Amino acid sequence: MSCAGDISMREPDATPQAGRRTRAPFIRIEAVHKAFAARQGGELMVLDSIDLDIAENEFVSLIGRSGCGKTTLLNIIAGLDAATSGRIAIGERPVTGPGQGQGVVFQQHALFPWLTALGNVSFGFRKAGLPLEERRERSLELLRLVGLEAAANKYPREMSGGMQQRVSIARALALDPQILLMDEPFGALDELTRIELQQELLRIWQARRKTVVFVTHSIDEALMLSDRIVLLAPNPGRIQRIFEVPMPRPRSRTEPAFNALYDEIWSELSS
Amino acid sequence: MNARLARAASSLAVIAVLLAAWELAVGYGLLKAYQFPPPSKIARGFVELSLTGFPTGVSLWTHTGVTIWRVLQGYVAAILLAVPLGLLIGALPVLDKLSAPLIVFCRSVATLSLLPLVIVWFGAGELTKVVLIGYGCFWTMLSNVIAGVRYVDPVLVRAARSCGLQGPELYREIVLPAALPRIFAGARMALGVGFMVIVGAEMIGTIQGLGALIMEARTFYRSEITIVGMLVIGLLGFLISSGLAGLERVLMPWAGNLDQVRR
Repeated sequence: MSCAGDISMREPDATPQAGRRTRAPFIRIEAVHKAFAARQGGELMVLDSIDLDIAENEFVSLIGRSGCGKTTLLNIIAGLDAATSGRIAIGERPVTGPGQGQGVVFQQHALFPWLTALGNVSFGFRKAGLPLEERRERSLELLRLVGLEAAANKYPREMSGGMQQRVSIARALALDPQILLMDEPFGALDELTRIELQQELLRIWQARRKTVVFVTHSIDEALMLSDRIVLLAPNPGRIQRIFEVPMPRPRSRTEPAFNALYDEIWSELSS
Repeated sequence: MNARLARAASSLAVIAVLLAAWELAVGYGLLKAYQFPPPSKIARGFVELSLTGFPTGVSLWTHTGVTIWRVLQGYVAAILLAVPLGLLIGALPVLDKLSAPLIVFCRSVATLSLLPLVIVWFGAGELTKVVLIGYGCFWTMLSNVIAGVRYVDPVLVRAARSCGLQGPELYREIVLPAALPRIFAGARMALGVGFMVIVGAEMIGTIQGLGALIMEARTFYRSEITIVGMLVIGLLGFLISSGLAGLERVLMPWAGNLDQVRR
């Protein structure tokens, strides 16, 4: 089990499938603090000196108990929330807001209810300055990618939770992001749909070569998907430990290495 | 389909039985006719109102038309003022904080308690009635518009920001459509308020309108005329409310489950 920030051993031609990373850190998080004004006055520390490097095309999960600040950290990377102090950069550019190559998939109910599936995906293209016809074409293509071509004209309320999350993924992909930030995207889905969407996500990630930061509270989900699992501890949120997941994909929930790692993470979580 | 017909038939039967019982109770002297005019008397009152009118010469249709026109003027004026003002207040949290106590206060003042003041200001003519109706509609509409834009689901705003929207563009393309269902619900509630105010608004300085009809009938102990007036007001409210609900379904086909808000 190697440590965070240990990037010297990464090979330049690494493939995501092998769980290796390219040499240079792509997302660089340095000494990030986040504090909110507390109700009783004073400050509530949510994130305390977070240091984390994430390589290009890497799949990293953030896991931890509620209150460990994993969603806050994701929002800061997304540029939707500002860190109180510290530096955060994508490539060489400091993050100052959204639209720097981040695409976000939220937990649920984040589709615009007044737009159809096609309209929602097409919304992701609106800053790209494409002609309407091409926006439509590309949106349909993305719907095809997530297996929802037939539902293009459905409104969110007419779709199941799993379909809605597929559309959310397509909308995030429409931004043509280098980084896909996902905030418990499958947390509200039933078990079968969740497993299906996990497989789908891996397929898309391997086809489109994105860097993924994935917030989850499921050890199982993190193990099935990630190259690395970052375990955050609560009050204040800080990195407790980082686990490498060396098993090749597709992974099986029954292999011994999977279960050994599951137990290790579980004992660390409950310590 | 048959089950629905059967249900409709049975609820009609219940109403028919109730009406018959009422008629018989008056016939056997259990209820006094001037307190509880029997259905037959109400029907005669309706015929009289439609043909000769009450007071003589002013038919039910004139009353109805006059009332609709007054409500419409007050209601439309209220909406035209409340929507832009509410959108502005809702966009600026400072303005919302400053105006919230005033709005709650004004909304809580019973509209009819303003009647004496409004008469002093505008006389006893048409304007007074329209102003009273407008006052009632305005505050209801205003608080709903503000609430609509203020309480848009934050995740929608974050989703839009992650797609690169901000500022006025975000407000126009996300906050406004997200607030529409609430705004429409407010418009329906405001209309209800408008119809609640008419009886009082038409109490003074007019013999035309459903409110005036009801007050005039009271003077002559014509309870059956009062009941006809009530029925017409209720029917109007029901029809217009259904019309608005239908309009909503056409304008916002995406908002399927508004039934909770609709009531």
